[in-house]
Amino acid sequence: MKDLSVTVKSNKKIAENIYMITFTLPEGAGAMHGGQFVNLSTGNGANLLRRPLGVCMVEGDDVSVCYQVKGGGTKYLSTVEPGRKLQALLPCGNWFDVDDYEHIVVIGGGVGIFPLIATIREHYRTKSFYSYIGFRNIDAVCLYNELAKSKKLTITTDDGSYGERGNVVSAYLKDAANVPADVIIACGPPVMLKVLKQKLEEEKIKVPCFVSLEERMGCGMGACLVCVCKTSDGGNARVCRDGPVFNINEVQL
Amino acid sequence: MANLQVEICGVKFKNPVIAASGTFGFGREYNLLYDISVLGGISTKGTTVEPRLGNSVPRIAEGSSVILNSVGLQNPGVEHFIKEDLPFLKSKGVVIIANVAGRTLEDYGTICSRLDGLVDMIELNISCPNVHSGGMALGIKPENIFKVTKLSKSALNKTPLIVKLSPNVESIPTNARAAEEGGADCISLINTFTGMVIDIERRKPLLANNTGGVSGAGIKPIAVRMVYEASHAVKIPVIGMGGISSAADAIEFMMAGARAVQVGTANFSDGNAMPKIIGGINGWLDAHNINDINQIVNTLTLN
Ligand SMILES: Cc1cc2nc3c(=O)[nH]c(=O)nc-3n(C[C@H](O)[C@H](O)[C@H](O)COP(=O)(O)OP(=O)(O)OC[C@H]3O[C@@H](n4cnc5c(N)ncnc54)[C@H](O)[C@@H]3O)c2cc1C
Ligand SMILES: Cc1cc2nc3c(=O)[nH]c(=O)nc-3n(C[C@H](O)[C@H](O)[C@H](O)COP(=O)(O)O)c2cc1C
Ligand code: FES
Repeated sequence: MKDLSVTVKSNKKIAENIYMITFTLPEGAGAMHGGQFVNLSTGNGANLLRRPLGVCMVEGDDVSVCYQVKGGGTKYLSTVEPGRKLQALLPCGNWFDVDDYEHIVVIGGGVGIFPLIATIREHYRTKSFYSYIGFRNIDAVCLYNELAKSKKLTITTDDGSYGERGNVVSAYLKDAANVPADVIIACGPPVMLKVLKQKLEEEKIKVPCFVSLEERMGCGMGACLVCVCKTSDGGNARVCRDGPVFNINEVQL
Repeated sequence: MANLQVEICGVKFKNPVIAASGTFGFGREYNLLYDISVLGGISTKGTTVEPRLGNSVPRIAEGSSVILNSVGLQNPGVEHFIKEDLPFLKSKGVVIIANVAGRTLEDYGTICSRLDGLVDMIELNISCPNVHSGGMALGIKPENIFKVTKLSKSALNKTPLIVKLSPNVESIPTNARAAEEGGADCISLINTFTGMVIDIERRKPLLANNTGGVSGAGIKPIAVRMVYEASHAVKIPVIGMGGISSAADAIEFMMAGARAVQVGTANFSDGNAMPKIIGGINGWLDAHNINDINQIVNTLTLN
């Protein structure tokens, strides 16, 4: 993990309200994996908190993350021009460790797809991915070519304007009997993860499942304890350091 | 290279830059970024007699140039601190300040006597709700500050006592004097201001705890004023903090009367903030031909 002043190389809109920002590291930061994140300054000095954004692509010294413009910080970030310096803490947290698995089911919704893309890119040459990816509507669809590195890709939209109409968890459950799965990796809105946990229990699907969680962060490295989630045994875990990836059975959703 | 060493209550700091409580844990994580032995000192996460789980999330929010937190004193308890974290901190050769808190007045006595002689200094966090004052912080009324200071001091034979003042009060000079009269060896300030951020779509406060402590660059001018007031109200040394993010900020506090400074929120914006501030102080002193940091302390002349 390093805290570096990075240089923005490009910052482009890739779908409705979604941008991809690529920045160049002044020095290597070590290997980065899908699920790990960057704690990135917005470029606005009045934002003292950095924004946690999942590592999406790494090429040489260039790192790309994709973000949805939600509040003031990401709005400002979307106006940052190439050449600007940002402060980046990276790589943060743990990752989707799929080393021991062959057939990987990917369930992603909304901005949760970006860290999953990093995992697919990292392993698609040697492993098979069966991906269920949900977008709000056709305007939100992005990075199709990356998602298409999956052996099987199912896209859903809330309104049916692209792919199947409906949600990704149902889309996977419909297929579950026919898809070989050694592990499930998932990232998306809290309700999606909650439903996933519930359904896996109901349908008695015993495949190991790892989910990446979101929480508001301060330090991004495990020191300030603002980003905790509840573990199944009633304790706290730090999303930034003990996570963001957790075994679905070990956290309360 | 100027002398950066400062001495407070007989405790020697390599330099006047100390990590502020709650933003730095027990130092392990930041030690992955840089060797934390370059720091003057570390004030630990607020530690209590028993382990605590803290408040619900969200625990952090943002305002313009400030942040709000409501961690609620999540910590592993004093015994865990002594066994697991203290040996690591000792191996780093930094001044170890144990920041302590309690639910009852008696808790302060218990934790102080447990830590006496084990750490370099003890810093009382009296800004948290306390049973003794009906859920209000002990750090608001001078008579309560006097009481908790006196009780804590009587539990200590070896370790100097810092009382950390809250800014949410009527008079900083009065409260600083209450701590001094209670037997404090040193004062630190400021702790956070109480604030609220509202999510207008949900018409609810953003923090699960409704309110949180405001810190960061935006509070600095108020903190400087309060540090000035405190250091001119008492004879004991003062450690200043509140929104420090650069060497120039640290120097302001020292000119206002602080013998050392603490840095909190700035660590979130840049994990290397403290080493940069230490380097910057040295550069500023060199550029001004000052060979000892102690020469700038309390050198302000009013207009
Ligand atoms: C590990 C992790 C990875 C993430 N990866 C991505 C990603 O790849 N792409 C993407 O678009 N989003 C991602 N997010 C969510 C993203 O961090 C928030 O959408 C973003 O911080 C919102 O900032 P803002 O300035 O738009 O909102 P503001 O409301 O202005 O933010 C105020 C504060 O709240 C925090 N905050 C607000 N919403 C969230 C949230 N949902 N999660 C965490 N913090 C939040 C902000 O970081 C900031 O500190 C990730 C979150 C986490 C925890
Ligand atoms: C996340 C967080 C946790 C904190 N926890 C504590 C604590 O446990 N005890 C304490 O005395 N102060 C605590 N503080 C207050 C800081 O130590 C410091 O007084 C305050 O943040 C002002 O300094 P700053 O503006 O440099 O952050 C905390 C502050 C933050 C941001
Ligand atoms: S953000 Fe500080 S501990 Fe997670």
